[in-house]
Amino acid sequence: MEDIKTYAENTWCPGCGNFGIFTAIRDAIPLLEENGIRRENIVITAGIGCHAKIFDYLNLSGIYGLHGRNSSNSEGIKIANPDLKVINFSGDGNGLGEGLAHTMFAAKRNQDMTYILHNNSVYALTTGQFSPLTEKGWKGPSTPKGSFEQPFHAISLMIEAGASFVARSFSGDIKHLTDMIVLATVHDGFSFIEVLQPAISYRKWGEYSKQIEYLDKEPESHLEAIKTAKTKHKFTLGVFYQTQSPVYHKELYGDHNPITNRLSRDIRLDKIRKILGSQ
Amino acid sequence: MGNDVFTFLVGGKAGEGVKKAGSVAAHIFSSMGRHIFQMDDYMSLIRGGHNFSVVSTSPRWISSHYMNADLVVNFDKRSCETHMNDVAENSIIVFNSDEQENVEGIGIPLTSEAEKYPMKSLMYGVGAVAILSSTIGFKKDEMNQVIRTQYPRGIEDNISFANNIYEMVKSGCENKFPLEKGYKERKIISGNQSICLGAIAGGLDVYYAYPMTPASTILHFLAKQAENFGLAVVHAESEIAVINMAIGSAFTGAKSMVGTSGGGFALMTEGFSLAGITETPILVILSQRPGPATGVPTYTEQADLSFALSAGHGDFLRIVASPATVDEAYYLASEMLDLVWKFQTPGILLTDKHLSESSMTVNIDIDRAKWAEPKMYSGSDYKRYLDMDDGISPMLFPPSKETIKWNSYEHDQFGITTENAETISFMHDKRNKKVSALIEYLKKKKTVNIIRGENPTNIFAYGSTYMSVVEALNYGKINPTIIQPIYLNPLPVWELEEFKNQDNIVVEQSSTGQFTALLHEKAGLNIKSTIKRYDGRPFDPIDLSIKIKEVL
Repeated sequence: MEDIKTYAENTWCPGCGNFGIFTAIRDAIPLLEENGIRRENIVITAGIGCHAKIFDYLNLSGIYGLHGRNSSNSEGIKIANPDLKVINFSGDGNGLGEGLAHTMFAAKRNQDMTYILHNNSVYALTTGQFSPLTEKGWKGPSTPKGSFEQPFHAISLMIEAGASFVARSFSGDIKHLTDMIVLATVHDGFSFIEVLQPAISYRKWGEYSKQIEYLDKEPESHLEAIKTAKTKHKFTLGVFYQTQSPVYHKELYGDHNPITNRLSRDIRLDKIRKILGSQ
Repeated sequence: MGNDVFTFLVGGKAGEGVKKAGSVAAHIFSSMGRHIFQMDDYMSLIRGGHNFSVVSTSPRWISSHYMNADLVVNFDKRSCETHMNDVAENSIIVFNSDEQENVEGIGIPLTSEAEKYPMKSLMYGVGAVAILSSTIGFKKDEMNQVIRTQYPRGIEDNISFANNIYEMVKSGCENKFPLEKGYKERKIISGNQSICLGAIAGGLDVYYAYPMTPASTILHFLAKQAENFGLAVVHAESEIAVINMAIGSAFTGAKSMVGTSGGGFALMTEGFSLAGITETPILVILSQRPGPATGVPTYTEQADLSFALSAGHGDFLRIVASPATVDEAYYLASEMLDLVWKFQTPGILLTDKHLSESSMTVNIDIDRAKWAEPKMYSGSDYKRYLDMDDGISPMLFPPSKETIKWNSYEHDQFGITTENAETISFMHDKRNKKVSALIEYLKKKKTVNIIRGENPTNIFAYGSTYMSVVEALNYGKINPTIIQPIYLNPLPVWELEEFKNQDNIVVEQSSTGQFTALLHEKAGLNIKSTIKRYDGRPFDPIDLSIKIKEVL
């Protein structure tokens, strides 16, 4: 599996923001290997939507799951074999619409996984309906008079839920995005990167690039992080929050690994004999 | 009542130790070398209401409780009124004389006696054990020994209280039902515990669940045993998360199981279908309770059969099997785990509250459990969905130098999404080959339990209802052939051929007769009549034997 690209035909629109995410992942893999994370230990999951097509294009093992549910697949992978590094791809509809509860709970548990949110602020694949992150007033086929719901704020939402690494990046800045992916993947715990990525059939690159700014200083506390996330405008890139807190699988079973330390049949049967008495 | 059976019924409010008293009674009987069957009836509440526990015991294998009890102990007025008719001939009824007067039976001031001790109403169960001890001719020191081990909190108070009660009931109870001893002391476990142990024996690594009666005790038992057996046991945020987590774990090669009841399984069906197309080995424990919707949470029914057989959208193989006894639950849980891994498809172990939560003395051959082991791939250029003669693609798990792609979209053999017409039908055919492979495999296995009888009519039952039927026939001294299909999908029609044009009766707990319809449609069986019960209660052997005699 030397080549990072599969033979699958790429069906993202020409100029789509998703290409930048693909490239950043490609660039991040050798850097991760330098950090001791071997390529065969990296497992990916994707939900359903334009973001998810990355599953077919990346020559990496994983699960192409259901719409909104792949973060539960990711959790199940990590819980069963904590030696694996899980990179979870999601769109804003996939992860914060249908899969909101699963995303929030993965963060709440500080599940050791990397969550990459492809934020194009629209349901692109299903013809442009408003998403949980779409600004008010969006005229899509399901909201002909303009959407009137307040969008979620992904960064503060994830900090609040319990994520231990939260950052925003931009698919137009491959270098920044690659660095963020490496930082997030190396981080122990739930790491979340909101990646701004234009769906060019609905939004223009220019709308993004002219507004991009970088955080000059990483907030130092939980409260400051939430405040910064809410006060800086939504094109501000950088790490908003990172902290060390216990990861889920270690709280669950310490240094055990259910797969590599699996008890043999004989040991199991002996223990069952004890439970059932001297039968 | 059959003269070889003795039944003890204890009733009171939730929180008064009713179930515990039933368990202690069961323990006493099993320590005498007798078989037991314990059924707990409880309401969906934490404190108050009315709960009762019925324990029937016999020197022979007994497969049901009897509602007509020989000894009834009521902690309160409501229990007394509820169980007024649940009595056998020459039975003893004990009531709480602090709550009522002028009723039939032996009155004892249970409340005022208990109030002399700091634990008060928590001691009612100890009183019930004292009454039982006197009735079956236990000496005080034998009773005290039981109380010492079974009620370790406040031992001296418990013993003092028990001795007072023992003295009070002496004239009416003492040695009224001396019990014959059996030859061997057996362990008592519930159906759910048996399922857990069978799954562990079969190779279980991870278990996910969201609490739902009557499957919750699987989660509780496994959570408690997780460290002992090196399992990961997780209570997730919803049944949707549960099944998707289990699929993630199976991807790494972990033997994954989930457990729920009808409503929770409804939420799981999306993921169940994902397991179908990704060819994920996953075992679902579906313990039925009365539906639709929330239905009646703490009672029993068999009305999720049709749902289980067709759960999840799309064409894919679902293996469905149902254990009939607590012993069989152990074997079948391991066998199903093995089967879902052999055939890489989701399976359902279909049970019900009556089997899940009732307890029995067991005689399990622990080594008979199967061990789940997938067919593994060796070599390079791995394809997850490699086409094979039997449709079963060899597996690999990460970390691996090979790329392993599981895909919810229709996919090619490597696992890449496809919309190609030829590939779509090819992959359908590939998965469908597993159906015939499974049938050929099962033809060499025991898929139906048949007990040959002399009466020309046959009785069909599946799941816990089989136990009710066996006990009813025993009680009624009737002897038809009993046929219990263990597998429901694929239904072993090859075993049922001989019964096609005979007189067949079905006994089941579904108001529309779902099992009857299955036997008729799939096996072409001529069904003369169906005996149904759908009030949430399991069949009583006496009632059922009368109903069977009516239709024979």
